[in-house]
Amino acid sequence: MPPSIHPVDLVATLRQRNLTPAIIFLTSRRACDEAMQSFERSQVVLPKPQQEQIARVLTQVTEQFPSIAEHPLIDTVQRIGVAAHHAGHLPSWKIAVEELMRTGSLDAVFATTTLAAGVDFPARTVVVTQSSIRKARDFTDLTASEIQQLAGRAGRRGKDLVGFAVITPSPYIDLTVLTKGLTGQPEAIHSQFVISYPMVLNLLKAHPREQIQSILAKSFAQFQLNQRTAVLETKLDGLRAEMEPFGPRVCSDWITQWQVFDQARKRKKPRGPSARQESPDVAARLHFLTPGRVVGLVRGRGIILRQYRSKGQHAPMVTLLREGGSLNECPASIVTQVFDRTFDCEETSAYPWCTPHTLEQLTHHLMELPPRLPILPILTHQHEDIPLDSSIIQTLGDFACPSCPSRQACQRDFPRASRVRQEIQRHMKSIQALQTSLWHRFQERIDVLERFGYLNATAQLTADGEWARLIRIDHSLLITELIRAEAFGAIDPPLLAAVMASIAHDDDRPGSFPRGSTGLVTLLFQVRKLAESLAPHEDPPMLRADVAALTERWVADQTLTWIGLARLTTMAEGDMFRLFARTIEFLSQLKTLKHTHPSLAESADRAIDAMRRGVLEELP
Amino acid sequence: MTTKELEQVLLQQPVSLLHRLARGRISRHFRSGKRKLVDLLIQASVENRPGLESDLAALIEEQSHRHQTAPPVETGAKPKTHPRPAASPAAPRPHKAEEHGHHEPPVSLHEWLSGIGVPQAQPFVPDAWQVDALARLAETDVVVSVPTGSGKTYVAIEATRRAMQDNRTVIYTSPLKALSNTKFTEFSRLFGPGQVGILTGDRREHAQAPLLIMTTEILRNLLYDAAGGEIDVRLDTLGLVIMDESQYLADPERGVVWEETLIFCPSQARLLLLSASIGNPQDIADWLTAIRPTPCALIRHTKRSVPLRAGYLHPNEKLTPLFRTAGIPYGQPHLLHPEAKRLFTEYEEDTGPSRSR
Ligand SMILES: Nc1ncnc2c1ncn2[C@@H]1O[C@H](COP(=O)(O)OP(=O)(O)OP(=O)(O)O)[C@@H](O)[C@H]1O
Ligand SMILES: [Mg+2]
Repeated sequence: MPPSIHPVDLVATLRQRNLTPAIIFLTSRRACDEAMQSFERSQVVLPKPQQEQIARVLTQVTEQFPSIAEHPLIDTVQRIGVAAHHAGHLPSWKIAVEELMRTGSLDAVFATTTLAAGVDFPARTVVVTQSSIRKARDFTDLTASEIQQLAGRAGRRGKDLVGFAVITPSPYIDLTVLTKGLTGQPEAIHSQFVISYPMVLNLLKAHPREQIQSILAKSFAQFQLNQRTAVLETKLDGLRAEMEPFGPRVCSDWITQWQVFDQARKRKKPRGPSARQESPDVAARLHFLTPGRVVGLVRGRGIILRQYRSKGQHAPMVTLLREGGSLNECPASIVTQVFDRTFDCEETSAYPWCTPHTLEQLTHHLMELPPRLPILPILTHQHEDIPLDSSIIQTLGDFACPSCPSRQACQRDFPRASRVRQEIQRHMKSIQALQTSLWHRFQERIDVLERFGYLNATAQLTADGEWARLIRIDHSLLITELIRAEAFGAIDPPLLAAVMASIAHDDDRPGSFPRGSTGLVTLLFQVRKLAESLAPHEDPPMLRADVAALTERWVADQTLTWIGLARLTTMAEGDMFRLFARTIEFLSQLKTLKHTHPSLAESADRAIDAMRRGVLEELP
Repeated sequence: MTTKELEQVLLQQPVSLLHRLARGRISRHFRSGKRKLVDLLIQASVENRPGLESDLAALIEEQSHRHQTAPPVETGAKPKTHPRPAASPAAPRPHKAEEHGHHEPPVSLHEWLSGIGVPQAQPFVPDAWQVDALARLAETDVVVSVPTGSGKTYVAIEATRRAMQDNRTVIYTSPLKALSNTKFTEFSRLFGPGQVGILTGDRREHAQAPLLIMTTEILRNLLYDAAGGEIDVRLDTLGLVIMDESQYLADPERGVVWEETLIFCPSQARLLLLSASIGNPQDIADWLTAIRPTPCALIRHTKRSVPLRAGYLHPNEKLTPLFRTAGIPYGQPHLLHPEAKRLFTEYEEDTGPSRSR
């Protein structure tokens, strides 16, 4: 048995069962293109009237988007009534395929799952061949929402009495993921609120710092944190009720008293002084620096493999797996951020402190981590819970406990009471963290912006802050720092467009590209250096020199046609289009700086004009 | 909660809940069985037990909400000013455990394939939920959460028409430039070309038109500009903001832009959020009720306008229903059709060990 059904047979079966038109979701662009090729070789040909209808619709769309006329697949589509639709295609071609589907001219379309929400592109039948999709280089199971979005394209209102979602297996498919997704509830939405530098600048432009907390409180993020707080508070109420029988006795805080007495009684020394040397920050973090935990460092990120104390000084230390795979023994203070992300870590008792398998997996995980990770809010408490001055516990005689009438009751209740009390404290800390975490993150951003001089000491915008807040795109800090470093002095439009392209482009699909000019290579080198130095504050962009060079070529050589450009690279036309559209978007932001940086804005304007030609002019 | 108690509670939960709990805590959790998953969760929770426990409690609560069969049309948290419409399009889900047990014979392929066809052309009559959404919008913000292909665009168009009749401007946002362009063409045809403008990251036409189509990022920027004192689109006459595909609120990269826009959206403008079904639309409505001057009504249902059937196609071209029932048995993934089950088992055995990734 073949691992999956042949595309030609698949479409034949659907046709025979009257299940067309159909959208067939395949795992990759390549699979879609290969499916199309297999039709080119097949003998299937559409009846004449249907071929004519396709031709009619295509002529209509071509009037609006002339570039379609040159599309190499036109003949095949017309002959067989089947097309492909994926992100590698130009928007105009995708519009044409959508229009063909809307008019019911096609029998089937091969698409990737990126044919996402909102595109008006329904069919009688949807075929699903996969249960997971590639997200950030790793395969993730489709969610119920995603499965329902895919299946939901079947059954057109007004055109179908019933719609069909057909699963056909391919290797790696997990049927239960799909059946559960089809029959289950879509997932709840969770807030993805992040605080960016432009957000901070724009908020502080319009509101004094004192008001910010109440604005952040209006976010959906805080709404959901409040929901979690409510759960914790209910639990806290329960714990408080549990605590009631342990109220004041002979001494009002008998639990602490007993704890101290008990410790003294057992002649257990409280924690030695050496263990207290570290700063409250480090001390608070220590609890979280457990094996498998992802942490932020001054430069880059790492995963904790072990926590220990140094031999001589008893200083807190960690063994760290760093990006690139190196293992370092470092003081725990090297950790600047603790992320809300841990991985399985099978520990061992000797170097490298985990199994080789774990090490390999962790190295892999570390590489695959998304650029942004939620930070674990950690509260630092300046004073220890039990102020234990060793001079007080000189002798047991200092305590009233031995002769106290309540002694027996205290001894009996102490274990439970202290456990409940700890629970209460923990819940209160969690609640406090939930209530203040957004503000903490905002404050962190303020600190950075102040250090760089976009805000003054009272969190008001400086002259640089005033214009920097207009740059509201990804990597805004890098871009504004480049401007301040005068990296763009009297820059030529092609060079400016190229640098913006390398900052804007976030796809790591490899390919072959033309070479860039030496000017571009030097400039990119500077940009990269700056980006790396900003890494603790902002994730560096990929800064691909090859896509930059492609953009430079397009802007510099006005005689170059779109097709000519496409010949210079293996990059898909759809990707080229997206790269340029995004670059234009970035350049438009530079254009808004016309009052403070006229020559840069002028150059950006000229770059945009130069980019908008051919296909890019035809399409919005 | 002691570890023992936690373990007990976890074991009582459905696996789906455990998987959701495991997200971000355990890698490759979907490969584990229930018992293993519980063990892993307990192991993983060593350093952040309160986090795990509160997430667990939240999920359990969410689950219990779901199981109280949600009424088809719900209002926001504020007192209800409208009586519920008597007839509603969202009947309770068709297939419940009681209705279809294993004892009933599985649907035949013939039956499953019957009824394919084109419905008779009918004059357009808006659905009850569409009428209701528009009525609510006259007084409050509205969140519409209904399945794909239900007809959310009709609500957007009608609401726009009404706002424009009152001389108010309308902003329509969508997450995708492609979608913005489609809507620009569609709305220009409907309302007349001079009436519709478009603003995206790299395109700008008729910026002074009464109906403006833009990406959500552009609206966010406009709102920041307005707050900062410089403004090039008039927001004081803004009567309606429509956010299509608002499930993008959950997008890891861009979701924050939806939040910013909603937080700063002028208070005199009505909000209309359109989305395909999401798990917690009531939360969104409650949130907007909390931060906006008017309460927010929720219009929701989960029933598709065109019923959906699921099938299984074997690589040898044999087609069979996927489930024992003709329709999709909501809430009962295990009701597999015996033939589909047999064929898939055969497939798994044949493609054998190479399957593990
Ligand atoms: N009351 C109605 N009666 C019959 N057909 C309708 C009705 N309302 C809308 N439709 C039709 O339903 C189809 C789908 O509508 P629409 O595109 O608005 O769906 P949607 O809810 O926006 O879906 P999506 O989530 O996929 O964007 C359209 O062809 C529309 O004309
Ligand atoms: Mg829609």
